[in-house]
Amino acid sequence: MENKYFKSLDELTIDTTREIETTQAGDKGFILESQNEVKSIATASRRDFLKAFGFTIASAAIASSCEQPVRKAIPFLIQPEGLIPGKAAYYASSFFDGIDYCSVLVKVRDGRPIKIEGNTLSSVTRGGTSARVQASVLGLYDNGRHKTPLLKGEETTWDQVDEKIIQKLTSIKDKQGKVVILSSTIISPTTKAAIAAFMDAYPGTDHVQYDVLSASGILKANETSFGKAFVPSYRFDKANLIVAFDADFMGSWLSPIEFTKQYMQNRKLTNGQRAMSRHIHFEGAMSLTGSNADNRVQIKPSQQKLVLANLLHELRKIEGGETSASIPASPVDIVSLASDLLKNKERSLVISGSNDTQEQLLVNAINQLLGNYGSTIETDIHLKLRQATDEKMDALVEQMNAGEVDGLIIYDVNPVYDYNKKDRFIEGLKKVDLTVAMPVFDEETSAFVEFVCPDHHYLEAWNDAEIKTGFYSLAQPAIRPIFKTRAAQESLLRWTGNSADYHQYLMSFWETQIFPKAVNELFFTAFWNTKLHDGVFESGEKEDSGLEFTQDPSNEVLVNLKETDNPSAIEMVFYTNVSVGTGKHANNPWLQELPDPVTKACWDNYIAISPRLAQELNINDEQLVSVNGLPALPVLIQPGQQYKTLSVALGYGREKGGVPANGVGKNMFPLLTTNNGNKTYWIGDVNIEVVEGTYAVARTQSHHSMEGRALVRDTSLEAYLENPESGNEVRKEIKAHLKSLYPKAEFDGFHWGMAIDLNSCTGCNACVVACSAENNVPVVGKEQVINSREMHWIRIDRYYKGDPEDPELVRQPVMCQHCDNAPCENVCPVAATTHSNEGLNQMAYNRCIGTRYCNNNCPYKVRRFNFFDYTGSDSFKGNRYDPAEMTTDLRRLVLNPDVTVRSKGVIEKCSFCVQRIQEKKLEAKTENRMLKDGDVVPACAQSCPADAIVFGNLNDKNSKVSKYFADERNYHLLEEIHTLPSVGYLTKVKNKTI
Amino acid sequence: MMNIFLPPFLKMRLVFALIILLVFFQPYGQIHAQTPEAEKNFQVCKACHNIDGPKLVGPSLAGVTQRREQAWLLKFIRNSQEVIQSGDPIAVQVFEENNRIPMPPNPLTDEQILDILKYIDNGGKVADEYLVAQLGDEEKAAQAALAAQIAAEQEARIQRLNDIERDANRNFGTTFIITLIILIVVLADLFITKVIKAKFVHTILILISLFVIGEIMYKEASALGRQQYYQPEQPIWFSHKIHAGQNKIDCKYCHTAADYSKSAGIPSVNVCMNCHHQVREGKITGTEQISKIYKAWESGEPIEWVKVHNLPDHVFFSHAQHVNSGKLDCASCHGPIETMHEVMQVNDLSMGWCIDCHRTTDVQFGNNKFFESYEKLHEQFKANEIKGVTAAMVGGENCMKCHY
Repeated sequence: MENKYFKSLDELTIDTTREIETTQAGDKGFILESQNEVKSIATASRRDFLKAFGFTIASAAIASSCEQPVRKAIPFLIQPEGLIPGKAAYYASSFFDGIDYCSVLVKVRDGRPIKIEGNTLSSVTRGGTSARVQASVLGLYDNGRHKTPLLKGEETTWDQVDEKIIQKLTSIKDKQGKVVILSSTIISPTTKAAIAAFMDAYPGTDHVQYDVLSASGILKANETSFGKAFVPSYRFDKANLIVAFDADFMGSWLSPIEFTKQYMQNRKLTNGQRAMSRHIHFEGAMSLTGSNADNRVQIKPSQQKLVLANLLHELRKIEGGETSASIPASPVDIVSLASDLLKNKERSLVISGSNDTQEQLLVNAINQLLGNYGSTIETDIHLKLRQATDEKMDALVEQMNAGEVDGLIIYDVNPVYDYNKKDRFIEGLKKVDLTVAMPVFDEETSAFVEFVCPDHHYLEAWNDAEIKTGFYSLAQPAIRPIFKTRAAQESLLRWTGNSADYHQYLMSFWETQIFPKAVNELFFTAFWNTKLHDGVFESGEKEDSGLEFTQDPSNEVLVNLKETDNPSAIEMVFYTNVSVGTGKHANNPWLQELPDPVTKACWDNYIAISPRLAQELNINDEQLVSVNGLPALPVLIQPGQQYKTLSVALGYGREKGGVPANGVGKNMFPLLTTNNGNKTYWIGDVNIEVVEGTYAVARTQSHHSMEGRALVRDTSLEAYLENPESGNEVRKEIKAHLKSLYPKAEFDGFHWGMAIDLNSCTGCNACVVACSAENNVPVVGKEQVINSREMHWIRIDRYYKGDPEDPELVRQPVMCQHCDNAPCENVCPVAATTHSNEGLNQMAYNRCIGTRYCNNNCPYKVRRFNFFDYTGSDSFKGNRYDPAEMTTDLRRLVLNPDVTVRSKGVIEKCSFCVQRIQEKKLEAKTENRMLKDGDVVPACAQSCPADAIVFGNLNDKNSKVSKYFADERNYHLLEEIHTLPSVGYLTKVKNKTI
Repeated sequence: MMNIFLPPFLKMRLVFALIILLVFFQPYGQIHAQTPEAEKNFQVCKACHNIDGPKLVGPSLAGVTQRREQAWLLKFIRNSQEVIQSGDPIAVQVFEENNRIPMPPNPLTDEQILDILKYIDNGGKVADEYLVAQLGDEEKAAQAALAAQIAAEQEARIQRLNDIERDANRNFGTTFIITLIILIVVLADLFITKVIKAKFVHTILILISLFVIGEIMYKEASALGRQQYYQPEQPIWFSHKIHAGQNKIDCKYCHTAADYSKSAGIPSVNVCMNCHHQVREGKITGTEQISKIYKAWESGEPIEWVKVHNLPDHVFFSHAQHVNSGKLDCASCHGPIETMHEVMQVNDLSMGWCIDCHRTTDVQFGNNKFFESYEKLHEQFKANEIKGVTAAMVGGENCMKCHY
């Protein structure tokens, strides 16, 4: 069992027995069954034939008697300069939703944003994106958006709303009442200025920031240590040893895109690099980041503080400093870790995702001891995300309940859904005279306020952002507002009597405040135009206050440390996944259908439980259980979960998000508790109660099982340095056996190939959404996913290795391998799938008659069949199946006009983004030049924050992909069956201690 | 547009003065009324002024003789700048209202100017007595011939469409029905009447009729959705024959995107206005069709043209590929557009037609650096093994060249 890869637990435990069962019962049963089937087919087929015959005649008659529809071509009245119909334009902008930030390029085709790409000019995100950033373009066309301003739930006009709000604000001002602006963390300097202008106009106004994912612990710890509450800038690229305590920095912790870029920079072995950073992860639940770690240590969330304290204690002991008398022993061994850390002084990074101030104080003390401040943790550049302290929000709710708040303006937050004491908040809201919400989407909070003043979607709005000290970026509209919405900042200004539009306000703010920071710039207009074009402006400024690590109260923490009270208690961790996150984007069908990188489940949240605990409690997979009396959720047995730790995703159970958000999963926010003023994302001593019944969770997990062959190859850094072929030795053997009667196909000019560095892939799923957006991949809904009919052209397989209680986890993105010896091509009876002279495995949808022979013959199971019409492209209405409202006119605006929308009954699969290849080839031709390496970038490679995917011309020996193919680590999937794939994989190398 | 707000007593005076002026100049006007010379002189004014219709550079002139005093008009038309500099309030106002664009001085006599004013009052027409004289016999004959030609063309078009339809019907209907009858008769004979004793006759006849029926069905089925000879009526009777044929305007002057984009682009109204801002009357249709451009321009409603060349949604055709890098002539696909008043689709735009061309047309192999990537073809080319490189040799037959 030690080295056996398994894809799901079924494979390990049940599969063998099931196989025997079926063969025993199968022989007789199957023959009888098949005979019956033949009979039924025989009787049905004559009728079916007649039906089909009649239908064909009738439809041919109708079709031939119908006239061709008259198609209109409507040009512009005045064609805007620089806009060419039929050609995409790109605009730089900034994505920020209160939680995540990303500098992006928006692809606009004929006035409609259709795709988001990463902005390579930003030195923060460096062209990387995440699944949510990629999916945000569909949010623009969300059916659940507010379409007009609302007054007590009734549609009204902006004039009416403005008049009434100004009236109320004036009367509050007259009686010297209190107005509060409640928002998420604001990173936009101009928005801050607009809020300040509002506060000036209405003295007694307060601004409270509220974060769903809070970093209060870090803020308060830094306030103690440095005298200032701030989130520092982390530099994973400078760290040789990363020790993370439950900080999912590739998925949800602070700035995942930036961190993934930095982290991977230190872990690539291409380009001759021979060293890798080492990453040790302590956690209870199996997270995305934990599953990528070199060493993963399971601890309960309650033990985290104890482990950190012991680590600090140990470090001090080795350093010979004074140590506090004695502290309770650590549940896991940290002695060797401590010495490793000391070997990497100033080159290590210790972080914790905990929101506990004391824990963060310990982390600060450790980093100070290791001299990490100033190298891997920058204190002169601050990360401007997560600036909210939870106490302020709690205090506000109490004030509201005490009737001390007269007006509440809610901007960009949805506390009725995601605040843990939401009932108290709703109660308080009723005591506030003026309640205004400025959301983009219809949300739970909108129902409880008097005025709803809908804000633009970020793709319709002007804005700016300062993500880190001195790292500015701009956001510009890529489309006119679709609905009667207004920028929230403009609303605030309007209520102060300033009728400037936000674009002008933003420009004048930049002229007076930001432009002076630019050196070598003479004229504002030139400065503005270049920065708007680039999307970013990096002034190079630093925080001026010389922050010094002064206070270290970690001793107090150590002294007051107690043994974890109850070792047998079951604890529960709350996390946000890479798809719907905090639930803000839950109404995005692409995100709902995105399989979780660890569990491969979608369309639901569920309780993950360790195999051992499940066995002990006699709970099966998908059994419904209730935790602490809350609505029942299904259980999902998760290898690698800490024995006594459960985990469940937040962000589900929306009630007013629209279709498909509503009723998907259960809302777990009410279970969050507050400790020492900070929200805590785990609870101790939970009570599990088995509820009658099971619930099917849609999983893409075992659907495409490759039956235990060595598909993902991995090795350790040590072995790799000794022999670059380690882990991939079998390839030589396979290659020696590859012989064919046929001559090898040769391609003149271009032979497209793709290489995937398994070392870099984190499994973040950005590529999956990018592919869906680029290629009009349909959303099929939960039922169809359960029927194994998901349509994603690229999937990320994940395999476990070793002990199911503490397995290693490896991942492998799989798309069409574009085999030069493709098994699918020669079984197609209508030649709908053929090979191009550039090595592409082509798929002509209009030729496909849906026999699915190709699907059956594909060893990689990457071909997808349209069982229904999911996108509304079919002329026959009865073929439509639309569980996620993807066929509405509004949502269909997101479709890429360069890719055919497939109808029912045809096969589809990855095309290597052939539309991009053709576009770039044409571009080169019109510019009279050769195609350069790196010109063609498929959507998956473009979106990848880890640069794991490389695409190019294999005929060009100097191209990056050719170099990857020549690497000793390179191998092909199922190479032994001689399919000659054009996709190569590089062996995964882990820097683990053996 | 040019309301002048004056106090009532001034207004009274103005009316009074106007009456005097009208009375005074009436006989004068009758003597020199809107001669062809006025029309000729007005060509200069026409560059910036409309008589009826929207404001161009300067204001529209309809009713200008009622709006302004004649003496003022004479002064202003002869040298507007002088009047403006003298501080005349009306002149200054007019200057300001028209974006301070000066009207150039016109060295005309009073008589000529008054003649032009008459011409304007007459709605931009010369007096009837000159009309006949203006057109020479030759010109009249030419115009009549042109009109006849257009009518004939229209008729021919209807005829042709009818022919096509009739042909199709005849092909489909008559042959199909005859063969079907033969088939039925033969089958009936084979099983029931049994008149013909030699069975091989039946076999041959059945086979032939099945073949013919199959062939007709195949032809008809593959023609479904094709629109060869499609020549729809357009919202504006726009003649490519006049624009591209007679005036030799380059196709890409209007269809600018053909070089850069997949669609060649229908010109936006502002492109029409580049010329029609001056050309306000056509030889054939007069102002009737051209005024539709102004209507669109003024109302802000774009013109809804009818698309002639339609490809199915699953076909990706790029004009830039063919026009820009392929250096193909527009006519090779669109036919002799410059001879058509209204555009007709001359080719069937079927896949077979595309592929045929891809197989026979050479790409710009030697002239475009892009093709340097094709090393083997280059070697063969240099060794004279191949004469040219067709599109098919560099992937022009691949499915995913056009379908993705």
